[in-house]
Amino acid sequence: MFRAFLASVVLVVPLTANAGNVIGKLELPTVERPAAPVKGFLDRVENPLAPVKAFSPANQIFVVLEGDEKPVSPPQVVIELLGESFSRRVAAAPAGAEVVIKNVSKTSRTLVAAEDPKLIPQGPINPTGPKSFRATDVGKVYTIGDKDAPHLKLKIVVVNTQYVAYPDESGKFEVANVPAGSYKLKIWYQDKWLAQEDTVNVPAKGKVDVKPQIQAAALGAAPAKK
Amino acid sequence: MFLSKIWFFLIALAAAVGLTVALVMPRPAQRQLVEEEHNRLSVACGVVDILLFDDARGRVDLAASFARADEVVKALESASGADKLDEARMKQVRDSGERIMKGIRGRTPDFAMLIDKRGRVVARIKLDENDFGDTMAGRPLVDDALAGYLRDDLWAMNGTMYFVSAAPVIKRDPPLAYVGAVLLGHKVTNEFAQKLVNGLNVDLGFYLGNDDVAGSKTLPFDHPKMLKSLATLKDPDRGKDCEKAHPIELRANNDDYTGLVARLPGEAQSHGAFYTVVIKRPKAVGFAGTLKVVNKSDLSFNSFPWILVGGGFLVTLALGIALMWIESDRPLRKLAADAVRLAKGDKERLSEDEHGGKYGSIARSVNIHIDKIGRDAKSARTNLDSLLGPAPEGGLGTIDLLAGSLPATRPGGPAPAAAPPPSDFRFNDPGARSESGPLHDRPGARVATPPPKPARAPTPPPVPATTPARGMPPPPLARSSEPMPAQSTPKANPFEDDILGGGGSESTANVDPYFKQVYDQFIAVKQSCNEPTSGLTYQKFSEKLIKNRDDLMQKTGCKEVRFTVYVKDGKAALKATPVKEGG
Repeated sequence: MFRAFLASVVLVVPLTANAGNVIGKLELPTVERPAAPVKGFLDRVENPLAPVKAFSPANQIFVVLEGDEKPVSPPQVVIELLGESFSRRVAAAPAGAEVVIKNVSKTSRTLVAAEDPKLIPQGPINPTGPKSFRATDVGKVYTIGDKDAPHLKLKIVVVNTQYVAYPDESGKFEVANVPAGSYKLKIWYQDKWLAQEDTVNVPAKGKVDVKPQIQAAALGAAPAKK
Repeated sequence: MFLSKIWFFLIALAAAVGLTVALVMPRPAQRQLVEEEHNRLSVACGVVDILLFDDARGRVDLAASFARADEVVKALESASGADKLDEARMKQVRDSGERIMKGIRGRTPDFAMLIDKRGRVVARIKLDENDFGDTMAGRPLVDDALAGYLRDDLWAMNGTMYFVSAAPVIKRDPPLAYVGAVLLGHKVTNEFAQKLVNGLNVDLGFYLGNDDVAGSKTLPFDHPKMLKSLATLKDPDRGKDCEKAHPIELRANNDDYTGLVARLPGEAQSHGAFYTVVIKRPKAVGFAGTLKVVNKSDLSFNSFPWILVGGGFLVTLALGIALMWIESDRPLRKLAADAVRLAKGDKERLSEDEHGGKYGSIARSVNIHIDKIGRDAKSARTNLDSLLGPAPEGGLGTIDLLAGSLPATRPGGPAPAAAPPPSDFRFNDPGARSESGPLHDRPGARVATPPPKPARAPTPPPVPATTPARGMPPPPLARSSEPMPAQSTPKANPFEDDILGGGGSESTANVDPYFKQVYDQFIAVKQSCNEPTSGLTYQKFSEKLIKNRDDLMQKTGCKEVRFTVYVKDGKAALKATPVKEGG
């Protein structure tokens, strides 16, 4: 999954002489798997052989470092349509960045942004074909989906920074080449920013470790039963 | 008749009530039938839902069983570790899956997918078999199965609907690990729909929005109506749809149906998936329709209270006849018998007290009329007597006088015992002006009745059978047919002109033969009684007769007047009898 993340999101970060790396690990709570959005005739039941997998909210989280600088030469954000899901469920698009959605599945889809139906060029995205649009309004959130596939959802958040990272299932993340300075570390989960904000001072060289802790309550989920 | 009227009123009321009930009863029955049909529809809908639940349970069990197959576990464990899936692996896994599919007894899945733990399709069986490598993760069913849940769903694919079920594939050798998921799909088919409603006597259809998917029968229903009903179902608990949905009226193939719409669960719900249970609507039969559908069993003794109905009919009939007999027939017969006795003369009046009600009123009315007739007769007799004196005994009575059309003989027997008052007509009154004189017949004295036998000359009444009270047989006088021999042909008038003694001579040319005949008889009788006849002239005699005749004709309206000579108290007397036409 982490590799898919790396393949799907390409951040073109200008090399800076005085830049450091921010390495962090989100302390994610173990929460109950949310109820399925749809159910069949029966309620789902756990199999009798093994405990169900723990729910990881990591693939619905991204981290940004916001400083005083505005993003320059905004990078292209590439998101793959894998089939019945996107390579990520949430993605950050620096203001002015071009968002490219590539259909790597064998099924054609018609994607529409719920907040702005004209955002994505009309017409289906055929297999191997892309659709792109430019995100300009900082703070804007776009919900992209296919009306024929309600489970297919992607949240794109327009942010005022180009320093974005996506944690892996264990919560680890890294933002490279961050100019030295003081930044606010903000965390997006599902469809909202988490309330907690950490200040990160990035040195001119080297790396800085951050370990923000996220409570289950902040995710709006019940702690997993032990 | 009061009770009879009450009875007829009650019968009419009962008939009206019966008719009303007969006309009205089909309506509540129809309503009840419709309500029962709705209940049956609701029950059938619920049964279908239960059967779908059972079917889902069976499918999930089947998926779990499929997922436990060792070759499936091994194939998916291997595929999950590969960065890229190739065709050879796909075929190998597909072959394994096909072998397992062939071993399934009962309802075989229409497709199967073997998914590795990354959510990639390693192989497809029976549907899109050559496609592989695409990611199925993201669909709730797949995500749940990859996480370790057993569950079912309903998918809309390629314009049709599939009941899908999924189970996690678990490597059971330690350490336990999830290596993928098995997904089975069962197409919703007509056969499946028929199987669901088998024995329910309803029909079932599965729909995706405006599209027909499958059904127990091919019935082209109105989709807008069903979708409108579908839109009213808002309860989060889909299982209550069968209870809360309102029946809708549908039409297909010129038949009317009642349908009940219920939502289908799963992803397909976002495509407007629902099913409709329909039942043919019973026609509004009404009264005539109800009669048409009556069969023999409805009229059998076990089903219909014939004894009660028959007994009620007989009792009603008997009661009606009894009331008719008591209040109508019996008093009418009694009155009729009384009237017959009256006619026979056994009694003079109807018995008013013996007849009640209207019959008593009839009797009273008849009696009143009898009394009136009696009074009129008495009055007429009094008038006649005032003219001619009392009639002789055995002579024609008052009735004869008034009922000129009656036969001469009194019907029903002899004349009343009470003799009419004397009606002597004496020309030998000492006070008479003249006793002799030639008889002069005044021309035109008998209006339009030429003597002696006018065309309508009345026949003199026969002499009463009874002997006059004085013991002298009355002369059988008839005006024309039976004149008395002694006086029948007088050749010359032996009398003077003025019978009262003061009259002059009268020409014989003016002599009325009838009056002359009466005159002769009267003279003869007087002579036979040794009475003097010298002062009695034909002239006076005839004038008296003419005057009496005219008075009598004017009073009684008769056409003729018959004069009869008879003996009373040893003296000759004369009686006038008015004769009506035909008398």
